Amino acid sequence: MNKLQNPGELEKLKRTIQDGRDPKKPIITICGGTGCKASGCDDIIGIFKNEIEKQNLGNKVDIRITGCHGFCEKGPLVVIHPKKICYPRVKGEDVSRIISETVMNDTVIDELLYVDPISGEKITYEYDIPFYKKQTRTIFGSNGHIDPTSIEDYIAIGGYSALSKTLSNMTPGSVIEEIKSSGLRGRGGGGFSTGRKWATAAKFDTEKKYILCNADEGDPGAYMDRSVLEGNPHSVIEGMIIGAFAVGSNDGYIYVRAEYPLAVSHFIKALETAREYGLLGTNILGSGFDFDIRVYQGGGAFVCGESSALIQSIEGKVGEPRAKHIHATEKGLWGYPTVLNNVETWANVPLIINKGADWYAGIGTDGSKGTKIFSLVGKINNTGLVEVPMGITIREIVYDIGGGIPEGKKFKAIQTGGPSGGCIPESLIDMAIDFDELTKAGSMMGSGGMIVMDEGTCMVDVAKYFIEFNLDESCGKCVSCREGNARILEILEDICQGNGNENSIPMLEEFADHVKDLSLCGLGKTAPNPVLTTLRYFKDEYLAHIEKKECPAKTCKPLIRYVIDPDACKGCRACARKCPVEAITGEKKEPHVIDGNICTKCGTCIETCKFNSIIIETGGV
Amino acid sequence: MVMIEINGTKFDAPKGKMVLEVAKENKIDIPTLCYHKALPPYGACQLCVVEILKNGWSKLATSCTLPVMEGLKVETDSERVIKRRKMNIELMLGRCPEEEVLLKLAQEYNVGKPRFKEMDDDCILCGLCVRMCERMGMEAISFTGRGKDRDLGTPFKEKSDVCMTCGACLYVCPTSRFSSEEVESISGNKPLPIPAEFNAGMEPRPVISIPFPQAVPKIPVIDRERCVHFQTGNCKTCETFCEPGAIDYEQEDEILDLDIGSIIVATGFDLFDPSIKPQYGYGKFSNVLTGLEFERLVSASGPTEGHVELNGKEPKRVVFIQCVGSRDKEGHEYCSRVCCMYTAKHAHLVGDKVPGAEITIFYTDVRAFGKGFEEFYVRVQEEGVDYRRRELDDFIEVVQKDDSDSLVVRAEGHPDIEADLVVLATAIEPRKDAGKMMNILNITQSGDGFMLEAHPKLRPVDTFTDGVFLAGCCQAPRDIPDTVAQASGAAAMACSILSKDNLEIDPLTSYVDEALCRGCGFCVEVCPYDALSLEEVNRFGHLVDVAKVNEALCKGCGSCVGTCLSGAIQVRGYNDKQIHAAISALGVTK
Repeated sequence: MNKLQNPGELEKLKRTIQDGRDPKKPIITICGGTGCKASGCDDIIGIFKNEIEKQNLGNKVDIRITGCHGFCEKGPLVVIHPKKICYPRVKGEDVSRIISETVMNDTVIDELLYVDPISGEKITYEYDIPFYKKQTRTIFGSNGHIDPTSIEDYIAIGGYSALSKTLSNMTPGSVIEEIKSSGLRGRGGGGFSTGRKWATAAKFDTEKKYILCNADEGDPGAYMDRSVLEGNPHSVIEGMIIGAFAVGSNDGYIYVRAEYPLAVSHFIKALETAREYGLLGTNILGSGFDFDIRVYQGGGAFVCGESSALIQSIEGKVGEPRAKHIHATEKGLWGYPTVLNNVETWANVPLIINKGADWYAGIGTDGSKGTKIFSLVGKINNTGLVEVPMGITIREIVYDIGGGIPEGKKFKAIQTGGPSGGCIPESLIDMAIDFDELTKAGSMMGSGGMIVMDEGTCMVDVAKYFIEFNLDESCGKCVSCREGNARILEILEDICQGNGNENSIPMLEEFADHVKDLSLCGLGKTAPNPVLTTLRYFKDEYLAHIEKKECPAKTCKPLIRYVIDPDACKGCRACARKCPVEAITGEKKEPHVIDGNICTKCGTCIETCKFNSIIIETGGV
Repeated sequence: MVMIEINGTKFDAPKGKMVLEVAKENKIDIPTLCYHKALPPYGACQLCVVEILKNGWSKLATSCTLPVMEGLKVETDSERVIKRRKMNIELMLGRCPEEEVLLKLAQEYNVGKPRFKEMDDDCILCGLCVRMCERMGMEAISFTGRGKDRDLGTPFKEKSDVCMTCGACLYVCPTSRFSSEEVESISGNKPLPIPAEFNAGMEPRPVISIPFPQAVPKIPVIDRERCVHFQTGNCKTCETFCEPGAIDYEQEDEILDLDIGSIIVATGFDLFDPSIKPQYGYGKFSNVLTGLEFERLVSASGPTEGHVELNGKEPKRVVFIQCVGSRDKEGHEYCSRVCCMYTAKHAHLVGDKVPGAEITIFYTDVRAFGKGFEEFYVRVQEEGVDYRRRELDDFIEVVQKDDSDSLVVRAEGHPDIEADLVVLATAIEPRKDAGKMMNILNITQSGDGFMLEAHPKLRPVDTFTDGVFLAGCCQAPRDIPDTVAQASGAAAMACSILSKDNLEIDPLTSYVDEALCRGCGFCVEVCPYDALSLEEVNRFGHLVDVAKVNEALCKGCGSCVGTCLSGAIQVRGYNDKQIHAAISALGVTK
């Protein structure tokens, strides 16, 4: 491939690629994202390839391994283009039928279709599935269409046209102005105005400037950045080049965790091909502008997602935050002005340049523009990644997109903003989600994790889990964060053990306030949020643990006991046979009894009992 | 310069400074455990927290990492600051309940016992050791783990192959985290203190130090052999601390060429090493000292600031043994002259400082010959010091008492005497390098190894080399008054030379008959005064060597005359003819 010498050549290449593709030719797209890999998509891909070879359809059908479609709950996902017939949870034995019937004869195989859990209807096309229907998939939309390892796929859908527009028609100032007026705010969690950040870095006249991409996504259960990198790496690269042009930088880094091997390999591949095509490196598209990106793989410390710790880590030092009285935009990596943005922020940039700031500002709320990808996990039917406009309500996400809570249980709370975010209760379910509203509710946007909790979730236990995570991931530099969170954890453990007392809540509040007030970095300042928000919205649960020694959600083992309802028990002995510690005794056809002294509360009996005769009781333990 | 406001008072501060530094310079007290002037600020202990006041709101920041900015307003002891500081003290104290430094702070800030389960740690993870090691250029230790597992140590907790046992970590640690055992576990080597030479090795000294309190000039010197900077090029901590900027690492020893008219040799003495004589137990028992070591022990500027204290204990039974190495046929036959009186002084001091002490002195003869000496000797005896006479050849031995710290002195003809401390009056002996000095200055050595004066009675400060004089113990053992008297004499002698415009010399010098000289050079070799040299002259068109006499140097000793094979050198006034004539005049014929 000869390097593209000017924007015209890029446009020509795009047309050549498009012309070379028959829009009617069937394409089997199989999601190759990490979520679907876990569901076994690699096997399915192999079977599809074999089958096509066997049926000698190599020339008639294209097969494309794409990035994450978002609907991870239903992986492996297979979508047959051009009609977009969607088959979820495809199994090996379905493959030959899908090829012979759907791909070759356009016949929909009814029993393989997705069934909406709420209406019970079968849905044929991907875009009709409620999970996708309510989303606004501007960043994520292309993931299902392109092969992330193919730059031609990206160019064919208009990729790098924003870069071309920037280099040929815009000045650094006008790029910054465009980003500023789009209202784009950093997607890493802080929500700082991206345009203003760029403008600050742009005004310094230094020998070097750095553009960094933060891909150190570490929130438990959150993987939107990984999916963007895996599914559409070129959009991030394009955004970074535009950003570099705007602030006057020639060097970029992406800080990505080494635990994301697929994202790393796709990104490296994308960098190599972009360089080959003259879209990265020296004299990009013949404009005279030079910019290149290096990949730095982090060791997986959560705190390295914090800007100053990330910079220290790239510099080869211990990844610890430092005081930021002088911002990275003035003195960042190696002491030079540095712009650090999150993966998703960078992926937004080409869209804004292409479609205009007004288009972007038209999506979302007053203070938060555009869309946001959330990672919807926990007690929810449709686990996966959802891209929604800012301002959407929690109810819409949980019920319309997420398909509600499994087993008909009641929604209790949603944790947003990752481990240092907060739990928002059911009473606020109609709250619009944007940066400012979440902050008001005591939580935060964070990088977009959303963990749904149902009535079976103990909020003290949740707080304990997140504090434990935050304590593990604290760098340990500040006494307030390291020692303070350890003390908070101790108190929470006491409460869950039934050892809480009247001092527990005041002490929790005092320590949480201390950690929040005194700690240096974002991680420390927000670490006690799970405690503070659960105390704010679920104080009753704390009090039940402390005063009545009860766990209302029936999860804290020391506060619960398993008993058998003698009226319901048929004496089938199934539970007694399964019990790993032989705590259940009783004669055949007579009601059984659980010996509380032996029972480990593992829950095996509940899963075994067909008559719902096992009851969990709490209180008075 | 920028203007900042601390607690309502305005201060000018240079850009780049941190608020903590400005506060410290202006005597505003802010506590800190992790700040060190020579190290990059870190902000781990957070005790230096201050409240930054903005319009209508405020925030907290550690002042060690807060750079001064125009218009910055901070409060160092607001209610919010004190609350945070107290809580951090409580949190640290909960981690390390035994640490002195935290207990002190807790008392100062009225922080009670931690309200949670205490741990048993000794490290507050301030990172001073890590940053110090980095400054040493070694980076042998760093933080390991994170969160609650944060600790510090070497990579993979294995022995370090870069640690050079400099002990900087140990020095800078504010708690008891670092001990010499800890350092040993890192490097595999035990960190050894550098013995302070002036205090006879009885206390350690830093690598940079003023050698002794009365040093002239009173300027610290760097021990290059041990200074980290001279090993690795790093550290330079002293430079950071020296405000006048006086540290000069480039300084080299200088050899000065001086134009001088006279030299006074006052090179002093060495002490006899008593470990040569094992019967005294010196070097074997830590409570056997030499007189000089004891002198440092009782000195107000000594290692114990004048308290008579050894291994942390006050000795109650002290035995002094005189004539160790002096008046000894196997050692030095001479009397060291000073020991009798300093032992009396030491005995007096022990009696004074250790009430009820039992003091015994083994002596042979007490030589109290100076002014007031005898009276002092009598006084010390009257103070209750037990003087016990023994013959020089009599058996004496110092042994340990039954594995205890106590000693027993066994002396012929005396009962065994138990002692907590034995002090040996060791002989004064010539410096080991005295010979070198004597060679350079053409000074003769006397039989005892000291430098020889020109005449014991008539020229006691002169040497045989004109203009070179002796003062003090380089010539013979003597006490301070005698040394001062002799030194005054030597100075006066030097002045008598320097005060004249011209130097008068004896005219009776040797001269060379160049016609006879064959240029063999034997005379040059034998001349003790370097007065002869060979020079080239033109003899009938041929260049030949002949001897030349420097008359200013020649003393007319005649060594060259006796050596000359061709009879070319004669001494004025004593040439062969004149000597023969003198002999004839005495009536002696050939």
